[in-house]
Amino acid sequence: MSAYEKLLPDTLDGSKPFWDACRRHELTIQECLECGHRRWPIGPACTHCLSTDFSWVGVAGTGEVWSWITYHQAFNSAWAADVPYNVALIRMDEGHTMISNIVGVTPDEIRIGQRVEVLFEDVTDEASVPKFRPVKP
Amino acid sequence: MNQTPSTNLRGRGAIVGVGRTAMGNLQGSTALGLGLEALRLAIEDAGISKDEIDGILTHPGTTSREGANHYLRFSEAAGIDPRYAASKSMGGSTAGALVQEAIMAIDAGLATTVACVFGDAARTGGQKFNSPSGDPGLSWGIWGMFGPQANSAMGARRHMAQYGTTSEQLGAVSVTFREHAQNNPDAVMYGKTITLEDHQKSRMVVEPFHLLDCCLISDGGVAIIVTSAERAKDLKHPPVLVAGMGQGYTARKNEREDWWYLPHQKNVLESAFAMAGVGPEDIDVAQFYDNFTFSVLLWLEHGGFCQPGESGPFVAEGNLKMGSRLPSNTHGGSLSDAYMQGWTHIVEGVRQVRGEAGDRQVPGAETCLTTGRGMALNTANALVLTR
Ligand SMILES: [Zn+2]
Repeated sequence: MSAYEKLLPDTLDGSKPFWDACRRHELTIQECLECGHRRWPIGPACTHCLSTDFSWVGVAGTGEVWSWITYHQAFNSAWAADVPYNVALIRMDEGHTMISNIVGVTPDEIRIGQRVEVLFEDVTDEASVPKFRPVKP
Repeated sequence: MNQTPSTNLRGRGAIVGVGRTAMGNLQGSTALGLGLEALRLAIEDAGISKDEIDGILTHPGTTSREGANHYLRFSEAAGIDPRYAASKSMGGSTAGALVQEAIMAIDAGLATTVACVFGDAARTGGQKFNSPSGDPGLSWGIWGMFGPQANSAMGARRHMAQYGTTSEQLGAVSVTFREHAQNNPDAVMYGKTITLEDHQKSRMVVEPFHLLDCCLISDGGVAIIVTSAERAKDLKHPPVLVAGMGQGYTARKNEREDWWYLPHQKNVLESAFAMAGVGPEDIDVAQFYDNFTFSVLLWLEHGGFCQPGESGPFVAEGNLKMGSRLPSNTHGGSLSDAYMQGWTHIVEGVRQVRGEAGDRQVPGAETCLTTGRGMALNTANALVLTR
């Protein structure tokens, strides 16, 4: 297996627990212990009440395709072999949106409003990246 | 959070000098050199001496090496020790934000005459505009999201799904602005016409965007000199007053499902119109920030020039052309004049309101709207320019 050349997550800025959970194939989010708000992206304080007390909680990992785009040109050489590939904006059932890829489909099979669920790709021995696939009807 | 927009600054600031260098592929140019040349041209246009400038506000170019300290190096290189100075990096909304800051500083008595300056050697400096989207803490490059097209393309796709907007309608923007560039000998795309078929046949970059949905990459410099309306009366050109202005930001990308629709732009235009005491029906000519064709569609909806969802048919009907309801991007815009991160839009607005736009003058234009937007779509502002 050739070396993984794509950008890997960095675990600075308090994101290590999130990526550790991905490694266990669990999708998590920070939940405020004062007001209960779940924030995304990862941040040091609650985006509602600025409390710094939080816990990592598991989320369902389901949502819908809010929008998606198809790269016909590689802006980064590590992605050259993947062209054409999609990048999607997923609206999670918890209300926030995430950027990811939809796997197991060709670009013309993707629809806005399509139900999707998370899966994890173990891209290196240390890192797993959350991606999405259509939910089987 | 709705607030009553201020009218305190209506018409208190004026743009009295504009300068734009040659633009395009300028071998051997530097960001700093282009900014200084633009400053010289703007000083000449204003008919003032360099010594009268006591404020320097700069926008570091993508190839400027000074980062947040750019204002200091620029001032040093210009031989100016300003009373008031700063740099801002807000991408395509920086130009308008600096003009607004200049007006506020002058009104507050912190400066009398402020030069707002941008220079960039993006074209020859090897700027590929391919950096990862997202933020350093959570880069979207992990999922292959690179380059500025991505955010706008995401919005365009959803607009298409929600309202039936088509690629041909986006193409109408591209073709219209290219037509306008044919009246602008300084435009990079002067002498190079395109048809809707050319737009449709141009290669896909980030779908739904074809190559001809995307702006140029250019070297160049722009400077804009601002002073009080009072002082402006004695200067060379009839002053162009800033009657209205607004700023807005949708900083929260992932906690707002409407981020793609750029809700802050509506606030920006409402604020600018309210300060100026005008509505969309009063705008004679507009210069909309057009890094991508789709950007123009959202401005039209947010400004009330058409209903939400109706901007596609609005542009396809030809409403942005010279001689139509809302002549827009009369210089060719970022799509066909040059990509100066929205700076040329203000220069063109000033020339239209002065009535000195030559072959591309909108007859009797008295009120011009200029807009800017940048970063992950989440900074924006607008100016209403009047005589
Ligand atoms: Zn909270």
